[in-house]
Amino acid sequence: MFSLIENEVIKMISKKRLMFVLAILVVLISVFAYGQNQTLVRTKAQLSQRIGITATNDWRKLADQQLIDMKNRLDSPYMDQKSQASTRVKMEQLQYNLDNNINPLEQSAAKFTTTFMQQAIFLFLPLLIIMLAADMMSGESSSGTIKLLLVRNVPRWKILLSKYLTLVILEVMVVFFAFVLAAIISGFFFGFGGWLAPVATGFKVFAGKLDSSSVLNVPQWQYSLMVYSLAFFVAIVVGSISLMISILVKSTAASIGIIMSTLVAGNFISFFLSDWKITRYMFMVNLRLTDYLSGSFQPIEGMNMLFSVTVLLGWAIASVIISFMYFTKQDILV
Amino acid sequence: MFKKSMWYSILTVACVGFILLAIGFYQAIIVTTAINPQPSVKAPISLTTGDSTKLPSKNANSFQVLILGDSIAKGTGDEKGKGFSDYLPESFKNDTSKEILINNAGIDGQESLGLLEQLQSKKLDKAIIDSDFILVSIGGNDIRSILSLNALAKEDQFKVRQDSYLANLKQTMHLLRTDNPNSIVIFLGLYNPYETVNSAEDTRLLNTWNYNTQQLIEEDGKTLFIPTYDLLKFNLGRYIAKDGLHPNSAGYQALSNRISKSVETIITGS
Repeated sequence: MFSLIENEVIKMISKKRLMFVLAILVVLISVFAYGQNQTLVRTKAQLSQRIGITATNDWRKLADQQLIDMKNRLDSPYMDQKSQASTRVKMEQLQYNLDNNINPLEQSAAKFTTTFMQQAIFLFLPLLIIMLAADMMSGESSSGTIKLLLVRNVPRWKILLSKYLTLVILEVMVVFFAFVLAAIISGFFFGFGGWLAPVATGFKVFAGKLDSSSVLNVPQWQYSLMVYSLAFFVAIVVGSISLMISILVKSTAASIGIIMSTLVAGNFISFFLSDWKITRYMFMVNLRLTDYLSGSFQPIEGMNMLFSVTVLLGWAIASVIISFMYFTKQDILV
Repeated sequence: MFKKSMWYSILTVACVGFILLAIGFYQAIIVTTAINPQPSVKAPISLTTGDSTKLPSKNANSFQVLILGDSIAKGTGDEKGKGFSDYLPESFKNDTSKEILINNAGIDGQESLGLLEQLQSKKLDKAIIDSDFILVSIGGNDIRSILSLNALAKEDQFKVRQDSYLANLKQTMHLLRTDNPNSIVIFLGLYNPYETVNSAEDTRLLNTWNYNTQQLIEEDGKTLFIPTYDLLKFNLGRYIAKDGLHPNSAGYQALSNRISKSVETIITGS
């Protein structure tokens, strides 16, 4: 079993697929980081033009003032109880910025790395995973090498399991390298710090409303760990589904086409989310798991972190079961 | 040999990464679903209900001013932390020897619906009954979010917002008047902090908003609409705080002076 996985991993690496994925990551992250840098410069210029002062250098005054305002607000007897936690969280962040002399306008490698994955989780990361997964089986079928695999004295389920575990290993590698590359490349643009800055999280959805009464600050490194873990989960789900499709459809082009169009369709099918209830059980609309962490979403009735994770898990398990059943029974005609 | 060592390093990274990511995943689930991990939130709540009842009582030798509404009522943006709470008494002092008591119930970011709910919660009833003047600043947060829309959507959204705002305001006024039919309600109009970048269309919308507000407010005989738009239009640099939205210390002072001039006779006369 172990040597089967080893064999598969070495096969994937010599196929240079992983190298392609990493190369795409390097290019895109560089472009994004450069773009972010440009936006930052523009924003600063605009701000200083609009307010008439160099707001970028004067941020301490503004932060001090905001802090006083929020303190007064907390002391006010008319303060809405629900917003107390979020005010306190904001105060902690401002205080941290003041104590450590961090301009909130500035980017940092830590912030960029986290935002990058938050933006990549619903389309870009799944596409990378598809590149790896979609031809794992169909590639063997179309090149005929599947015969060589199956004539060995190993049960079919073991072959498939080794393929699946290889895919998981590659998914860890992609997520890991996405993190490392984003941190390093953006570090050259924005400096390598920022990993200890507090980030607000802990938003919950109650009765269709975003509830921020229990928000709390976690350090940036922990926050990015959570973001990348959710990304990894998404990668596993998308990987399982594309592996299934690559088994069912024996042509690589067709399997990539099917899963890609499904993903892209998911981006606009979410328009119907609030009216057409059944769409929320599709895996494509549940991929934005990180939004639950950051609280940056419009709550939709019945959807929360647990719901989305359960739906995704259901899809993954179903596709694994179908893959195994189909692969152990199918006739191989090459 | 190279392949062998590569395979082992990949395996190690994968195993460590997998464990790390599993931990992170667990944390992410916990943090978004677990029941409130912050018991400390409870403490200040019981404290605040205590001192809201401790308001100064009605007195013939004092004026009571109740300030209601959003961040401008609250005094946000004043670098000295004063706002109307301090500048209004200062301006009133020139006209009367009576003591001025201020009661500020402004909440940052409050919209007209929030103000209505604040009044409906009955916590402020005593303060309203005792007050001689009620200063209201509301509406800025209702309208602010439509500024970024395109011209067509803006027009539509404006109508929607304005309708709900006016309905809330009407009810708010009704509640205020049921509690206290005699106090003078002073209502602050909206100004445009983005004067320098805005179009004529935005100015038109703002004027419509202010006009309709004034119409509604002054249906009642004892209310007064104080425009702020004219005072700030050419003085944005002087009167607007660094955040580019709220008045600064000088701005609050100027507005307070304007208010006190408008009610001068009432203050000296009574």
